Amino acid sequence: MAAAGASRAIRSWLERDLADTVARLCRSTVQVLGPGPRSGSGVVWGAGGVIVTNAHVASPPIRVILSDGRRLSGRLLARDRGCDLAAIELDADDLPPAIVGDSDRLRVGELVIATGHAHGLPVALTAGVIHAISRHGPTPAFIQADLRLAPGNSGGPLADARGSVVGINTMVTGGLACAVPSRVVQRFLAAVPPSVAAAR
Amino acid sequence: MNALLSLSNGLATAVEQVSSAVVAVNARPRLASTGVHWRSGVVVTSDHTVRADEDITITRSDGRTVPASLAGRDAGTDLAVLRVSDADFPTAALGDPLSLRVGHLVMAVGYGPRVSWGVVSAVGGRWRTGRGGDVDQFLRLDATLYPGFSGGPLIDAEGRVVGVNSSGLSRQLELAIPATTVTRVTDELLAKGRVSRGFLGVGLHAVPLPEPWGKRLAVATEVGLMVVSLQPDGPAGTAGVVLGDILVALDGAPVSTADDVQRIVSGHKVGATLGVTVLRAGMPTEMRIVVGERPARRR
Repeated sequence: MAAAGASRAIRSWLERDLADTVARLCRSTVQVLGPGPRSGSGVVWGAGGVIVTNAHVASPPIRVILSDGRRLSGRLLARDRGCDLAAIELDADDLPPAIVGDSDRLRVGELVIATGHAHGLPVALTAGVIHAISRHGPTPAFIQADLRLAPGNSGGPLADARGSVVGINTMVTGGLACAVPSRVVQRFLAAVPPSVAAAR
Repeated sequence: MNALLSLSNGLATAVEQVSSAVVAVNARPRLASTGVHWRSGVVVTSDHTVRADEDITITRSDGRTVPASLAGRDAGTDLAVLRVSDADFPTAALGDPLSLRVGHLVMAVGYGPRVSWGVVSAVGGRWRTGRGGDVDQFLRLDATLYPGFSGGPLIDAEGRVVGVNSSGLSRQLELAIPATTVTRVTDELLAKGRVSRGFLGVGLHAVPLPEPWGKRLAVATEVGLMVVSLQPDGPAGTAGVVLGDILVALDGAPVSTADDVQRIVSGHKVGATLGVTVLRAGMPTEMRIVVGERPARRR
């Protein structure tokens, strides 16, 4: 009986923790619209308030729909097609920031969640695990996750069980979700021209 | 502690624990498959991924590639067993597949390690594969078996190996061979190099029996199995069975499906004698067939 009670308690904690983590991540997930009919996703990257998304999603003129429904026009700060990343600035200083995690500390098998505007829907969640970490260099080119992504997820966050963003969902290959690691995002943001940041 | 985080850490630890016993099996062109270090010096993998009989190697989780030799293979359960002399690495911790219930979290592990997760989708009793293999328990997964995953372990949330995954048993379903069956087949392959299966050498087709014919039989049955193909020098052919005979009973038990026949035949050892009742031109005829051994599948 005690075991059944404990298992019920663990289940309810799991549900609560998952719901809390997802709710926090959803607040920081945005929809990114370009000139074409297709949309992507993005994430409010840390306290700086910059929106990070995929380069293949961020074509001006950019409009961003926040989780609270506000529609803002975005200014492209930087775009790197090599690592498929873009940084967007919005005219708002109350953006709910996502916690940024460390992709180098990921373990194979750990839980990950993705939020994004799959198929242009209101924010949608998928859950999975880290599939593989191929380390040819110090930081892998992509994180592979056993997780179902759909068109529209591009540019959205991949987060660990803490809700910390460890990658930017970028593409699907062989049924696997591929995300640009947060370490690569940090390097990309560090190279964003300081003049632009200062002008803010 | 956050329950979600502790589940996540638990899954990652489970993968870590099993991964040192997971190897890449290099026995086909291009894509390697996965193997499990089942017991010291013995690696289990999927039969359909072992295309070569010689020059097989395995790559351990520490990156070392060492030679392996084929101890035996069983197409029926899609299992192959390799012997490895360089075996100073951990063996898998085996779990009890009978404890699995629909909805349990499981993970499929490929060499690397690579992982997919999911749940036990369906559990059933003993079943027979399309190639005649006898499997103790039906295990269907809702998890993706990515290329190269065949032969790899199915693990529970604690990292215990409860089965071996195979994409070679069904085109539609993700299936696993339960650890109990793997151990049984491994023992037989190590001892004899093959799994022998009873064999009659007939092709059968179910036919309804005309009422007066059924009444002449000692067993109550309305359906018989007509012999529609026959190996002339096979066990049934040697015993005098001819095309057109209708098989109605084996060892006194009525048979109305090919599965009935397989179940009874596989319960007998090769070389055992089986009493057979056939209807020939409407008249019951008793015969005795010496159970033969199913020939190995040609590769």
